Amino acid sequence: MKRYVLLALAILFAAIYLFPVYWMYATALKTSGSIFKYPPELWPSQPLFQVSRVFAEHDIGRYLWNSLLVATGITAITMLLGTGAAYALANARGAKANVALFLVIVLQVLPPSLMVTPLFVAFNHVGLLDYPRTAVVLATAAKTLAFYIVLCRATFTQVPRELKDAALVDGNSHLGAFFLIILPLARNGILITSVLVFLQSFGEYVYSRSFIATRELQTATVNLATYLSANSADWVGLMNYAGIYVAPILIVFILLQRQIVTGLTSGALK
Amino acid sequence: MLQSGFARYLRDGKGFEGTLIVAAVLYLLVFAAFPLLYTVLMSFQEVDMFTLGTLVRPFAGLKNYTDLFQRPEFAPIVWNTVIFVTLSIVFQLAIGFALALFFLQDFPGSTYVRGLFLAGWILPALVVGAVWRWIFAGDFGVLNYALQSLGLIDGQIYWLSDPAYALYSVIIANIWLGIPFNMILLSVGLAGIPGDVYEAAEMDGANVFQRFLTITLPMMGPTLGAVVALGVIFTLQQFDLVAALTQGGPANSSNVAQYWSWQMSFQTYEISGGATVATMMIALVIVVAVIYVRSVQREQSF
Repeated sequence: MKRYVLLALAILFAAIYLFPVYWMYATALKTSGSIFKYPPELWPSQPLFQVSRVFAEHDIGRYLWNSLLVATGITAITMLLGTGAAYALANARGAKANVALFLVIVLQVLPPSLMVTPLFVAFNHVGLLDYPRTAVVLATAAKTLAFYIVLCRATFTQVPRELKDAALVDGNSHLGAFFLIILPLARNGILITSVLVFLQSFGEYVYSRSFIATRELQTATVNLATYLSANSADWVGLMNYAGIYVAPILIVFILLQRQIVTGLTSGALK
Repeated sequence: MLQSGFARYLRDGKGFEGTLIVAAVLYLLVFAAFPLLYTVLMSFQEVDMFTLGTLVRPFAGLKNYTDLFQRPEFAPIVWNTVIFVTLSIVFQLAIGFALALFFLQDFPGSTYVRGLFLAGWILPALVVGAVWRWIFAGDFGVLNYALQSLGLIDGQIYWLSDPAYALYSVIIANIWLGIPFNMILLSVGLAGIPGDVYEAAEMDGANVFQRFLTITLPMMGPTLGAVVALGVIFTLQQFDLVAALTQGGPANSSNVAQYWSWQMSFQTYEISGGATVATMMIALVIVVAVIYVRSVQREQSF
């Protein structure tokens, strides 16, 4: 009995916590007249689906596509550089390895809002600002890399050393052992961490806002921010936009919830 | 078949793993260490729009710093930043810890419901800011309605446009955003405390609070250190929420250092000023990062 009381309490806490997410979708379903009722309608009395109208009106597809491109690029670079480094750092011991790990962590603690000026200057200098989305990808990957390395390193430490040693005895090179034996075993951890990096990159804002001047190339965050400051009265449109934007994130999260929680809890602090 | 020396070096264990680490660290040096040093350099130089792209500029000494200290908005923004970080950390930690302890109890579906909280953590901060802005709305906002129904306030509070409340609005949204992360990290720490320690204490007659104070808190020491350090770092990075909610206004009442630095560099083009604020924050963040790395290492020795 007590266990079900606890479950009920847990659901209540989660419901209170997730209320803002509910409120976003509840508002998105209201009519523009009913949102200004006070006391507010906790449940939309005449739900109205305006998703497709808002989607078309603001050309959201284009901005989501840009966000998707940017997030894919960031995830690709992070995986490419991070997987090997995480594996090597899981094996390495000693002062050099500690310095490397320290650099990896310390070099990403700076707020992007502070790094953006020098990066802007440097990218401008080498002509990268002509390819603004690439610039965002390169800059953001430096932020996600540390998170990725820390979590993946924990995954690699769980792969038994003997398997690698056996592969080496069988005549594999270190390169071969890494690709044929170790990577397949660490696959789940790598995939979940990559999904997390992808989800976070999908919401990147500071670099996109500062580097991407052309409207057609902007990401959904920047476009949403423009909308936020320009049309502060059109809450229904805004909540529809926000709801459309986070829907894929929430769907991926719900599908992979178990794995994400396990991935975070097994690697979070190790 | 002959192999070149380099190829053999790459295939050999040390060379292979060393190359992997060097590649990642080099990337970080270019895209993270370079901007850091460049910012520090700019804070000691006279920089304007025209000399932004050159490295050699007139040396300004500490002039940028003394100029900054004399600005009327300097002290209020530093104070806002202190309040922003302190209140965010205290509440994220307290609520996160309470939830972590709650979900430690044995009941059906506990892991699943706990996981639902992470939905807040994966949402883009800008979207979270947009949603909270609607919740905070003065005339029709659901927060005012909730507080009035509970009898906590009489009139409407204009959360975002009243200078007395604007900063606290951003803090409330930031606490909301940080709770899941704190809860998950603290859950990991709690799971690492062996159960037989509690059983022994229970047999010795220690009650719940005594067990919490004498076992849980001391054994969570390193975890708490790491969580606080990460919380400070994340809170000092929080830009998107400020941008979505108040843009530092009204009249800088909710402005914090990281947003101010960006405003100077990108909105008013006082690039030296922006770089100087940034440099002072970098110094602070590095101190916090050192504490973080040390507490993580202590944890590993368990």
